[in-house]
Amino acid sequence: MSLTHPSNSEKGLSTLLRLSVAVLVVWLILPLVPLAVWSVSRSWYFPDLLPAEYSLRAWKYSLSETSGVPGALGLTSAIALCTTLISVLIGVPAGRALGLYRFKGKAVVELLVLAPTIVPGIAAALGLHVVFLKLGLAGSVAGVIIVHLIPTLPYMILVMAGVFANYNPATEAQARSLGATALKTFWYVTLPAVLPGLLIGSLFAFLVSWSQYILTLLIGGGRVITLPLLLFNFASTGRNDITGAIGMIYILPGILILLIGGRHLTGRSRATGTLGQI
Amino acid sequence: MTDVAIKYLTKTYPGSINPAVDGVSLDIGSGSLTALLGPSGCGKSTVLKMIAGLLAPTSGDILFAGASVRRQPPERRDAVMVFQDPLLFPYMPIAENIGFGLKMRKMKKPEITKLVAQMMALVQLDGLGMRKPEELSGGQQQRAALARALVLRPKILLLDEPFSNLDANLRIEMRDLLKSLQRETGTTMLFVTHDQEEAVVLADRIALMLQGKLKQVDNASAFYARPQDQEVARFFGGKNFIFGTSRNGRFTCALGTLEIPDHCISGKGTLTFRPESVQIGGELTAENSFRARLRSKTFLGVQTRLRLTTASEEFEALVNPALAQGLAENTEVSVYLPKQALWTLA
Amino acid sequence: MSDRWKIFLLLSPALLVIGGLFLGGLILGLVGSFGYMPQIGLDDVNFDAYRTILTSKSFYLSFLLTFHIAFTSTVLASVLAVGTALILRQSFAGRAVINFLFQINLTVPHLVGAVGILYLFSQSGFFARLAYEFELIAKPSEFPAMIYDPLAIGIILQYVWKEVPFIGIILLANMQTMGLNYEAVARSLGANQWQSFRHVLLPMITPGLLAAAMIVFAFTFGAYEIPALLGQNYPAALPVLAYHAFTNVDLNTRPEALAMAMIISLLSVIMIFGYVRLARRHLRA
Repeated sequence: MSLTHPSNSEKGLSTLLRLSVAVLVVWLILPLVPLAVWSVSRSWYFPDLLPAEYSLRAWKYSLSETSGVPGALGLTSAIALCTTLISVLIGVPAGRALGLYRFKGKAVVELLVLAPTIVPGIAAALGLHVVFLKLGLAGSVAGVIIVHLIPTLPYMILVMAGVFANYNPATEAQARSLGATALKTFWYVTLPAVLPGLLIGSLFAFLVSWSQYILTLLIGGGRVITLPLLLFNFASTGRNDITGAIGMIYILPGILILLIGGRHLTGRSRATGTLGQI
Repeated sequence: MTDVAIKYLTKTYPGSINPAVDGVSLDIGSGSLTALLGPSGCGKSTVLKMIAGLLAPTSGDILFAGASVRRQPPERRDAVMVFQDPLLFPYMPIAENIGFGLKMRKMKKPEITKLVAQMMALVQLDGLGMRKPEELSGGQQQRAALARALVLRPKILLLDEPFSNLDANLRIEMRDLLKSLQRETGTTMLFVTHDQEEAVVLADRIALMLQGKLKQVDNASAFYARPQDQEVARFFGGKNFIFGTSRNGRFTCALGTLEIPDHCISGKGTLTFRPESVQIGGELTAENSFRARLRSKTFLGVQTRLRLTTASEEFEALVNPALAQGLAENTEVSVYLPKQALWTLA
Repeated sequence: MSDRWKIFLLLSPALLVIGGLFLGGLILGLVGSFGYMPQIGLDDVNFDAYRTILTSKSFYLSFLLTFHIAFTSTVLASVLAVGTALILRQSFAGRAVINFLFQINLTVPHLVGAVGILYLFSQSGFFARLAYEFELIAKPSEFPAMIYDPLAIGIILQYVWKEVPFIGIILLANMQTMGLNYEAVARSLGANQWQSFRHVLLPMITPGLLAAAMIVFAFTFGAYEIPALLGQNYPAALPVLAYHAFTNVDLNTRPEALAMAMIISLLSVIMIFGYVRLARRHLRA
């Protein structure tokens, strides 16, 4: 039902609507366009609106070992995968507790889970640095994975708390009464029920880790070179064509994840708060 | 007070071929309570929204006191709608909710306070003005929603199944309240419902809508005694339809030749009668009486339902349980159909 | 097993990790900001770091700049997000596509957005070239500086680009939950389009809007990479200043870096308090 009253000429209204939609679309994709064009340009000097010459040079370079991109791509993926996996293992039980039970101190626990989604990671990471240094975690991949848990784990917990809030635990009691063991109940009843939410949550948790910059820079200490670090370096040294190519590679997983789980990306969940920092 | 008329009102939603509302014309007399009755999805809410101005008609017109309001936005029509959910604004106290429309009209605060207080007394919500909507019961919320609409003294109050979310007892209480409010304020009301009982109890006049079309506009008893066709009869619980031919005030069918009222149609048609008008156990010599076999009887509490068959027809009767007790299943009984209870459908 | 034990077991790994990493990091940072960092040979407890930064002009300039960036971005993004959500809530052909584009922004990392803004708005960027094409400027330096500029226009543009979809998606969910009937009621009660927006829709989406805005403010106040890429060197945004102080060869500036991190956290904590209060009021309603 449209609330526009009939005396508004429908044509006039849709013109205004169409115009705002057009502005919106242009504004949404505009910043991504120069990256794409730069990635296939050979020479593009001021004041040319379009490159004078096109080539795949930047892409070839980016995909070669010497650029460090393939390595960084693998490393970034591995870090994001490990972070997501650990977040799932720790976050699913916690999400279950928060989603299914009421207990004393729940508000405090929720606050503790929400806080890292709001307090900038740089604050905690600066404090942790010294300890990580002492434990030999600074400058290591393991250290980066651990510090990435600060944004991804709360996200996972909030997602799973939402999933479990809509889950009926009585089905587990039913399965047990029908003779299923605890393990079988988990495998055949609990897991299938929460799996869709779990998978979608994992995809976005992956993306949260994938997009981390300052946590990686601080704890990795320049020795763990992930894709965003490489992108930043090329961008600040003015290699626009290579920056464009890396930028395109860097946003690909996000678009893929959106194609898979975009339907589930709604602002209804408290977990959405974390996605603001991607 | 204003009389409201809709003329050939049609609405086809974008992307659908069949109109949701198809050429509906209806006059709503000033100060009357008309029920727009029909099953869910028949288009009755769409009619209401078009009168309120919340939806633009595809064609047709809406007249308030003879003047078209088609081009007027909802806020200038003075046609206020009350929905199924109370839809009280959750962040406003009750008094503020009821005064909302007056505030939108830029009325002075003291005046709003006075009118709101009067209205709250009328709907029995005195002293609850400072409460938040969620602190009220379902019935109180719907009363507040009614007050919020009535305080504006609208030209027409449009009620879209306002009581269907309330439990049965409360619903009856609310119907009585609405009736008395209507008497006291004289507001013209159009009441949408899918419940024929509610329509019968409340309305001066019922307009029955089926599949987007207005089928019959009449007073309540006419829908029982003189339905326009089988669909209408069935909607009002009609069960007995017997095919035959009508000629010179007589209807010839498998039940025999029966005397029917004068104003019935003639030619091929369907005979119908209410189950409760069937009389059992009278003299067989009288007009309109014949033998039938009692197939089954079901005790319904106040009445007993009998299933009766003749050689080729089956029909239903509702009789006094005490009478039914003396009847045995699978025996022959005598049946009498009073002439005035018969009606023919084309 | 009693429920209490079950809950404790389910929660303890998560609480250990979040408590250890997040709270632990903040506490270590707080301790370090008081000058106590025995690992690097500082074992004196004092307020020197706070005294130093609170008396330095560059800190104030950085603080003001960061506040300006966060505040302006948040307000602009909130206003535009309301408008955008109002548009996207209408049904029109191709809305699904626009919605998808809208969501894509959410998955594009801030850093990529920053590079895009750099290529669009720098003095040799796309818009400068366009201005040259229309003979508005004769050379790049005549194009108004929007990157590395004192007003941080490029940074704000980037945040607005990224956060409009973020706030917008939260608002759209809010509007979806409330449906269209509240506004229909308001219109039928005599409110015009503006009144029904002002008195009905806006109050109903305000809690969600404020919650989202607070998250955005806290984030833009504490983010490093965007001002590092698009901002001027002096004054730098607070997180950039903190990072430089932390990585300075002079280890004695580390407490100052931590003190700045604490100030960033303090601001976020204020935001959280506001958020919790609002969330509670929202729940009651």
